[in-house]
Amino acid sequence: MSTIEKSNKAARGTAQCENTNINLLKANDFVADIIRKEMTKSNTLLINVTSSAGSGKTTLMQKTAERLKDKLTMAVMVGDLETERDAARIRETGIQALQIVTGGICHLEAQMIHQVLDQFDLPSIDLLFIENVGNLVCPSSFDLGEDYRVTLMATTEGDDKPRKYPKMFLTSEMMLVSKADLLPHLPFSVDNVVKDAREVNHEIEVIRVSSVTEEGIDEWCNWLLAKVEDKQMAEVNA
Amino acid sequence: MHETSIVNSIMRTLELEFEVEKMARLKGIYVKVGILSNIEPRLLHNAYDAFQMTNPGYTDAELHIESTELKIQCELCNHETKVKNYRFICENCGSPSKNVIQGEEMLIHKVEFND
Repeated sequence: MSTIEKSNKAARGTAQCENTNINLLKANDFVADIIRKEMTKSNTLLINVTSSAGSGKTTLMQKTAERLKDKLTMAVMVGDLETERDAARIRETGIQALQIVTGGICHLEAQMIHQVLDQFDLPSIDLLFIENVGNLVCPSSFDLGEDYRVTLMATTEGDDKPRKYPKMFLTSEMMLVSKADLLPHLPFSVDNVVKDAREVNHEIEVIRVSSVTEEGIDEWCNWLLAKVEDKQMAEVNA
Repeated sequence: MHETSIVNSIMRTLELEFEVEKMARLKGIYVKVGILSNIEPRLLHNAYDAFQMTNPGYTDAELHIESTELKIQCELCNHETKVKNYRFICENCGSPSKNVIQGEEMLIHKVEFND
């Protein structure tokens, strides 16, 4: 059943109609496609990292940078409403990081990414992360031209999140159950969260990670290395 | 906040699609938003009202919002299922499916102009 919100103003005059079927996010998706083409040209794997605020995205970026910086060239752009704190933290690990300050906007849009792309020497970058604004709702609707969307789900958030925020989990290829080191102290069931996520998206991959004990970090980094290799092979074959 | 950018996106899209002369006669915008689009019709109306206040040229243009339910079509048995409680499972054969055929849309499906 569809519901139509009716206007309360009286109809007047005649009208001509045009049936359109234009996607509301056409402007965003157009820019996302441009980004995707740029990434293909430069052989850069683009990963969009999303989650609630405080689930450990930046810490994971630091860990990932430490592990991978000798194997490939990695860079991060990080979106926040205010401050340059996250980019500064990531730069401490010795990799390029750029802060995108959204000034109150709750998500990143393709246009914001495209505007800053020329700050990076893309052909020299193998792996580029977009650390999205901490929010499980709005960022799910905006394609940023990424190859993969990775969503962190911290054990401190509760294991019932995937079906509360279904669009995010439906559009993600990977769910990282983060802060796994805290599991002994929390009423959080990894089985429940995986079951919940797979009822929404039966294809979603799952890795348990902890940036503190480094559980799962090898598996995560190997996943990334394999995806970087796939992308570069695809380009060679093309 | 999100709804405000959606309204801006709608208006930007229409301004790109139609000539200035035509946009001056804009009478109605019909959008279709799915349950999964994370767009709340009431908030979208409010955001549009705010937009109209700062853009008096569009005072007469009404926004109509239709929301659509979530439906999947099974890849194995082709059965269409209305998704309840975000369980993406075919009600006919029980296989999981993320083949969403309705409920994700954010469409401007009709635009009306005064003669």
